[in-house]
Amino acid sequence: MSIYRTTRRIALPLAVLTLAGAVVAAPSDPKATRQASFKKMGAAMKVLKEQLAGGSPAKPGMLAAAQTVAATARQQGALFPAGSGAGTDALPAIWTQKATFDAQMAKLVAESGKLVTVVNGGNVDAIGAQFKVVGGTCAGCHKQFRADN
Amino acid sequence: MKPIIQPVWDLPLRLFHWLLVGLIAFSWWSGENHEMEWHRWSGYAILFLLVFRLYWGLAGGRTARFSRFVRGPRAALAYLRGSGEADVGHNPLGGWSVVSMLAILIAMVMAGLFAVDVDGLESGPLADYVSFDAGRWASDVHSLIFNLLMGLIVLHIAAILFYLLARRRNLIGPMITGSVKAVDGAAAVPLRASVWRALTGLLIAAAITYFVSKGLHL
Repeated sequence: MSIYRTTRRIALPLAVLTLAGAVVAAPSDPKATRQASFKKMGAAMKVLKEQLAGGSPAKPGMLAAAQTVAATARQQGALFPAGSGAGTDALPAIWTQKATFDAQMAKLVAESGKLVTVVNGGNVDAIGAQFKVVGGTCAGCHKQFRADN
Repeated sequence: MKPIIQPVWDLPLRLFHWLLVGLIAFSWWSGENHEMEWHRWSGYAILFLLVFRLYWGLAGGRTARFSRFVRGPRAALAYLRGSGEADVGHNPLGGWSVVSMLAILIAMVMAGLFAVDVDGLESGPLADYVSFDAGRWASDVHSLIFNLLMGLIVLHIAAILFYLLARRRNLIGPMITGSVKAVDGAAAVPLRASVWRALTGLLIAAAITYFVSKGLHL
């Protein structure tokens, strides 16, 4: 059997499985969804950081990354139903100090939204400054609500 | 009669040892407190020391050389069974302790170079070459190896205490002063550590560390 045919044989079922997984996972498993989303945000932040460090940042890449952070941030707050902390780095404080947590999440939504605006504006210094604000928001919330390991 | 002084460890080796002790402690502190700028600097300093130590294992004084203390398992077993030591320096078992610690430290530095924090904000200088997920994995490996390193350090200190208390032999003194009093009648054997070779090693280590810290860009 050629490699091409093997690939084709595996690829279709794999695609179907992935699709099915995505459809099933999204509404029913907030834990897995929020974890995957946080990883996506982390990866986007890494892209932004590298672009800014590189000296001559490329706007399309930065815009896509900023939009990923902003769009994902808007969904994260709703993905922490009570009792979904077990087996994760989420600290119980998320649920015992829900108002503070929600405020942090709202701050992330606001600051990452600003980041998109600033990237659109194209001023590299401003982008760098707002990137730091967003990063500080991540770190600040993690300090309070995420197990440090 | 003046006692004959037998040199055991050359100066670069002793500096390597004690600077490493301090830097491991500082790396732990800065890592725990998320002082990542300091943590990176500390890591570079350890990288510098490790490169120098590898070089010194080939070009250093007699007791610093790998060819002198890296021995097979048979020699280590024979030493454990109580055959004495003919010479100063690492015994065949201690040699393996040194090799393990160097290997663990090299692995730890390598993982740190590629590590990325959970926010994608802080990272080692080579993290640009890998994905976020790979960087996170490197970070996990980095902290896992730390536990192994702690285990080896505990073993190292336990062995030194064993020699001190059970064998009445102080190994700490020579690591500070560099020498022991020779057995009566024995002539001191020099270590033959060369200043020029040490300087060459410092240059090589500095160049490699600088290059790595700049993400392999010049």
